[in-house]
Amino acid sequence: MLLEKYKDHIDDLLSRYPIKRSVLLPLLNLAQKEEGYVSQSAMKEIARILDLTPPQVFETATFYTMLSLKPIGKFHIQVCRSLMCALVRADNLIEWLQKHLGIAVGQTTSDKFFTLSVVECLGSCGTGPMMQINDEYYERLTEETVGQILEDLKRTGDCALKSGPYMVPEPR
Amino acid sequence: MAMTETKKMVAITIDGISNQVPEGTLVIEAARQIGVMIPHFCYHPKLEPDANCRMCLVEIEKIPKLQTSCSTRVADGMVVRSSVPHVESARKSMLELLLVNHPLDCPVCDQGGRCDLQDFSHEYTPTISRFTELKRVFPKEYLSPLIETQMNRCVSCMRCVRYCEEVMDAKALAPVGRGTMTQISHWAGNELECDFCGGCIQICPVGAITSRLSMYDFRPWMLKRSETICNFCGDGCQMTVQRKDEDLIEVNSTLGAGRNDGDLCARGYFGYHANVHPDRLQNPLIRQADGSFAEVTWEDALERVAENFSQIKAAHGADAIGGLITARCTNEELYAFQKFMRGVVGTPHVDSSARYGYINGVKALQRVQGTHRWTVSFEDIVEADVVLLVGTSITEANPITGLKVKQAVKKCGAKLITLETAVPAFSTVSNITTLATHHLTVLPGCFDVAVLGLMKALVEQNLVDERTSGKATEFARTIIAEVEKISWQEIQQAVGLSSDQFNSASRTLSQAQRLVVLAGQGVLRDIGGEGIVTNLLDLLILSGHHGAQGSGLGVLAEENNEQGAIEMGVVAEYLPGPSKANNDMAQATLSKIWGMSVPTTPGATMLEMFDRARQGSLKAMFIVGENPLESLPSDAKVSESLDALEFIVCQELYMTDTAKKAHVVLPAASAVEKDGTFTNTEGHVQPVRKSIEPVGESQPDWEIFSALSVLMDSPMEYGEAKEIFKEIRGLIPQYGLLGPTSIPYVAKADVVEQYLREGFKEDVHVRYALTKKILARDGALTLVLGQSMYHSGKFSTRSKGLTQIQDSGVLSLNPENATRIGVDDGASVRLSNGNGDVTVPVKLVDRIPPGVAWFPEHFDHELRLLFRVTVDERNHVPCWKTTQVRVDRVA
Amino acid sequence: MEPFEKILTKNMSNPAYTGSLQDYEATGGYQALRKVLAGVPQNDIVEMVKKSGLRGRGGAGFPTGVKWSFLPKDYQGPKYLCCNADESEPGTFKDRQLMERDPHQMLEGMAITCYAIGAETSYIYIRGEFRVGAQILERAIEEAKQAGHLGSNIHGSGVTINMYVHAGAGAYICGEETALLESLEGKRGKPRIKPPFPATHGLYQKPTVVNNVETLANIPHIVNRGPEWFAAIGAPPKSTGTRVFCLSGHVKNPGNFELPMNATFRDLIFDIGGGMRSDKPLKAFIPGGASAPFLTPEHIDVQMDFESVTMAGSMSGSGGITVMEEGTSMVWAALRLMEFFYHESCGKCTPCREGSSWIVQILQRIQNTQGRPEDLDTLTEICENIGGRTVCAFGDAEIAPVQSTLQYWRHEYEALIEEAEAVRATRKEKEIPVLSI
Ligand SMILES: Cc1cc2nc3c(=O)[nH]c(=O)nc-3n(C[C@H](O)[C@H](O)[C@H](O)COP(=O)(O)O)c2cc1C
Ligand code: SF4
Ligand code: FES
Repeated sequence: MLLEKYKDHIDDLLSRYPIKRSVLLPLLNLAQKEEGYVSQSAMKEIARILDLTPPQVFETATFYTMLSLKPIGKFHIQVCRSLMCALVRADNLIEWLQKHLGIAVGQTTSDKFFTLSVVECLGSCGTGPMMQINDEYYERLTEETVGQILEDLKRTGDCALKSGPYMVPEPR
Repeated sequence: MAMTETKKMVAITIDGISNQVPEGTLVIEAARQIGVMIPHFCYHPKLEPDANCRMCLVEIEKIPKLQTSCSTRVADGMVVRSSVPHVESARKSMLELLLVNHPLDCPVCDQGGRCDLQDFSHEYTPTISRFTELKRVFPKEYLSPLIETQMNRCVSCMRCVRYCEEVMDAKALAPVGRGTMTQISHWAGNELECDFCGGCIQICPVGAITSRLSMYDFRPWMLKRSETICNFCGDGCQMTVQRKDEDLIEVNSTLGAGRNDGDLCARGYFGYHANVHPDRLQNPLIRQADGSFAEVTWEDALERVAENFSQIKAAHGADAIGGLITARCTNEELYAFQKFMRGVVGTPHVDSSARYGYINGVKALQRVQGTHRWTVSFEDIVEADVVLLVGTSITEANPITGLKVKQAVKKCGAKLITLETAVPAFSTVSNITTLATHHLTVLPGCFDVAVLGLMKALVEQNLVDERTSGKATEFARTIIAEVEKISWQEIQQAVGLSSDQFNSASRTLSQAQRLVVLAGQGVLRDIGGEGIVTNLLDLLILSGHHGAQGSGLGVLAEENNEQGAIEMGVVAEYLPGPSKANNDMAQATLSKIWGMSVPTTPGATMLEMFDRARQGSLKAMFIVGENPLESLPSDAKVSESLDALEFIVCQELYMTDTAKKAHVVLPAASAVEKDGTFTNTEGHVQPVRKSIEPVGESQPDWEIFSALSVLMDSPMEYGEAKEIFKEIRGLIPQYGLLGPTSIPYVAKADVVEQYLREGFKEDVHVRYALTKKILARDGALTLVLGQSMYHSGKFSTRSKGLTQIQDSGVLSLNPENATRIGVDDGASVRLSNGNGDVTVPVKLVDRIPPGVAWFPEHFDHELRLLFRVTVDERNHVPCWKTTQVRVDRVA
Repeated sequence: MEPFEKILTKNMSNPAYTGSLQDYEATGGYQALRKVLAGVPQNDIVEMVKKSGLRGRGGAGFPTGVKWSFLPKDYQGPKYLCCNADESEPGTFKDRQLMERDPHQMLEGMAITCYAIGAETSYIYIRGEFRVGAQILERAIEEAKQAGHLGSNIHGSGVTINMYVHAGAGAYICGEETALLESLEGKRGKPRIKPPFPATHGLYQKPTVVNNVETLANIPHIVNRGPEWFAAIGAPPKSTGTRVFCLSGHVKNPGNFELPMNATFRDLIFDIGGGMRSDKPLKAFIPGGASAPFLTPEHIDVQMDFESVTMAGSMSGSGGITVMEEGTSMVWAALRLMEFFYHESCGKCTPCREGSSWIVQILQRIQNTQGRPEDLDTLTEICENIGGRTVCAFGDAEIAPVQSTLQYWRHEYEALIEEAEAVRATRKEKEIPVLSI
């Protein structure tokens, strides 16, 4: 139940907009953060909070590709496959990941740790090949760094190689 | 409002033809007006432009790109070209693109032959397509038992989705996914829950959404159509019944046609099979010595009836015979029935189902305004700036009147005040209270107090209109004095509403330019119903709206022809007109036209007839299409009364419990099997047209009456229904006008004036006295039998379409109560009170207020034993739809 | 090229600069806001921005001051500013840097804009993937509030300005301004029919200005140093100021580079970008994000201002320059972009929705040597049937890669098709089209 757990946050969100429905995307994002995906019961509750019908929540949820409507792995690996990354061999990275994880794009590893997706441009074309894992970006990837990242995540749930405040090239 | 402002005209030229159209008109509409049809998919006059299909592109001078005529508004001097090569090729390409992912499965598509995509393709595209790739294919998705989606055929025009939200306010359909992968669905694979108005099916320009009720049963060109009027509720929707040979295939409605302007509800769209259930009575029946029924010829049956009526009349006098008829019959039949009873038989005892409550409304209108009809029209509802609903459950009981209210609020920005039992809670079944600016939750049986609250708030905030209080000083003073006697505490105690709630509502109400008040079953079926309606009229008068342009009060008829029933004089207190039964002039005119003498005393009402039966003074009854045994609780003693009668004739479509007690049962033809007229709640007299031959031996009721009259030697000979209508027309001037033109009735000044001077005094103290309310003892809930939007009386429970949405009663509980009782969806509860106990399944429904347990009256069979009937003194209306019960869960 | 002064990336070019409020104020931050709140009439600011010649950096290049002046004068009731931080145009990654490295620069620009147009509430619509950026902005807004640069009665001026970060959830189309507004209203990101324009019927049907991050980041500098100063930079009179160009693809040093708009593609790709990383020759480049038609080596000396790029037959759009070296398949490149557009079409308009799926499949066939001679005419016609016939500019955008590669590298398509024909000639069986998206 989102409302119980995040009452204040939700009230704050509601106070930011003149109409309730504007809080729909924020709440869908919140629900996904909470459960790892947007469940039916979450959509029902959100509808209730915002005076919407479940279909109104659903139609919005299905329009936005970051929202997953079914459970996925603990870490969602999303590799950019658009032209700019492809020019710097994103496809090799995808190949490598499929082999390394033993799954095809769209699948989840049996240990439920990793789900592999390919996505369109993530807005870091200058630092490809790159991928997003949950909230973090990982850029200028090589097979070594990717291996490192997956290992760290599996071990500690975090990885130092994630991008900080972004600037290319870094000033010297 | 939108409609009232007069628009400035501008000049436009389309394909060389010039015309003047109102400023702001859409180019596509302007084109239609001069006969230029611009092909389109997503455009629909009822919907806001979305311009997504890009089919309606036209060239507009001085604009480089082609423009969508469905979203472009005319400007003065605009020059439009819709048939230049540039535009033609755009259309071609649009169609080619639309067909890219279309399955081209026309041979198995119910839309085939009446499909915009087919027609436009036929008109504009080459026969071969350049598309040789793979088509996008959606796996088949099951949506609902009645509505079928075939998403591979969808052209993404979103008309269904937009209709569902903009017009119905159900918001039950959703576009799911993105780009070519967008499909129309409910949500997350759940089975569709909605109003089932069928609007999505009707508005889909292709075969993407179709009716499962007639799936694969026909090809459009095999269908024969007849324009008629729905025989469920009092809204009186015009519909087209389509048949193949003698089978009813489907019903649809036409944009712009009828009072419903092309909209329908679940009953209208999916309910038509109620008329032709396999159980229909096919032959006349006569009860045998052993109690069983034997099929007989019409001759035998009618002779038996005539004989018995004559004998009883001879032995005990004509008023030993009573007549009861359903207000579902046509005006012609109702008229013929009362003529038969009053003229041929000679008894004053005639009554009809209008007795169940509608009579309360009409009598109040008569009393205060001297008119038995609304002084407002559906158009006035749409143009009102404030609408007040009192006890209407309008989306369930009168869905199309409800649509007018939705339109007023959603499209024209009207303010809505609801005194209703439902609470604002959003779901994919539309709920009028969610549109309310002020909602006051009023439990059944408390509407009288709620109205007093509004009045008190009006008075205390000095919102009483000066001109009125100036003219009708005593009236105003009396009522002000009356409401001041009542304290807010008392009101709060009775209805649980605070003075603030009433104050803000009545402020809005008093600021209205055009105020329309609608009163429904919650008011009409209640004790003192006439008084409540009268008080609502007092409210209109004191707020200064009574008689003002576009303001007025309407009472909502539950059955299709209750208004007609009263105007045809099939209630004890009225002769046709209606004029009072004891009105000598009216009697004189009638006996002159009929050439028969007319009883001079007012007759007995339904319940009085039953009393007389048990006392022995009533010996026989002629019951037409009414089923009191199943319509009233046991303590109304209907069963005993019928048993006490010597002779009962039932004229019916089906073998009802009442009919089972009859000595002779006569098979009647249904509304789709005969011609005639219905008068809708708003007072529109509309033609009913035959679409199939009467089932079996059944005959239109009026033919049976006239056959009987011949056998009883005072013939009422009519060759066809039209002749009866002519006679009606001679008696009732309002029947000079058939059909759609609305002439809202105006209050008769002299009557109003008389009411304000003297009339109101008669019962003002009673009307403004606070009645005691039995407050639910703790643990107990108020059990309410109410109307479902999927059914109409018990009649519709024989419709194979509607029963697929709702085929049994489920008790609706507010989640809060449910948790307290410890039950969830699907669980069972025991309802018990002094009268007995019943076990029913439950459903959690947010719109049901705490403290209420709601059950659909159409399936009240077992539940009826929990209820007790109380009879309204003034109009003998039997009231019994609420009671107190304990609710416990059963393990 | 002659030396010049960076404007937007000046602060962040100092390694020590953290983008904190303290650092920003140390470089004169929020002086412009104080100045205008001290009593510069709202309209003067609009005029100032008009005079500066600043044009939108989001893609359309519409004069910013003019856009502001479209808001109804003396309108009672709420108006809104929406900062377009959806940065989804493939090849564009400047806004992310501007937000994450110097958030206050943009916030000050927004505050001044809010004051100028009379908006009390403004929303930053940031693409959902930019979680880091969103957090940085939230923090910066909080800092600014604490310091009294935002909130109610700012610096005693009686002016109220509230700012909120609103994260999207993955939809390129939400960068289109009216789709952005729909999305902000909690709906599917479908572009609206125009007219009416946001200036009169925008967010919640109220007067609204939508501006790109970089556009807004320029405002404080224009206020501080005057419109004349700004108008003299770059390629006056039409394309004034600098732009942060995003360089990606086969270059040695990709990245964000702020240059005056009179710089040429050669300056960027060779002098700054260091040329092709493989030292193969340049084959093609996209001058303004995925929506801009490809250009060829002949265009290398074209100036990167709006007009010049348009003259060269493309557009400088979002300022994202993607470079491709010799050996890159142009059919493949067009296909990749087309797959992007197919994936991102909102699906509202028939031509965009159906056309993109058709084009993708044809390109895939050609790429998989299953093309047919008639394919090229079909492609050309489908493009013509999409262009100019859709609700939003996405329709025009999605055909750019196909049309331009067909224009300059038609022979590559033909070669693949001839290959396919040859194969067909050998084995006579019918080919199966493949769908792999
Ligand atoms: C399909 C499409 C995508 C767009 N994406 C973006 C975007 O990601 N960021 C952006 O600032 N503008 C984008 N735009 C441009 C906006 O519609 C709008 O012109 C711009 O935000 C206005 O701000 P500006 O005048 O400061 O450039 C896009 C336009 C289209 C048609
Ligand atoms: S052009 Fe494409 S993206 Fe733009 S509105 Fe139409 S369908 Fe949507
Ligand atoms: S009818 Fe105009 S775009 Fe569909």
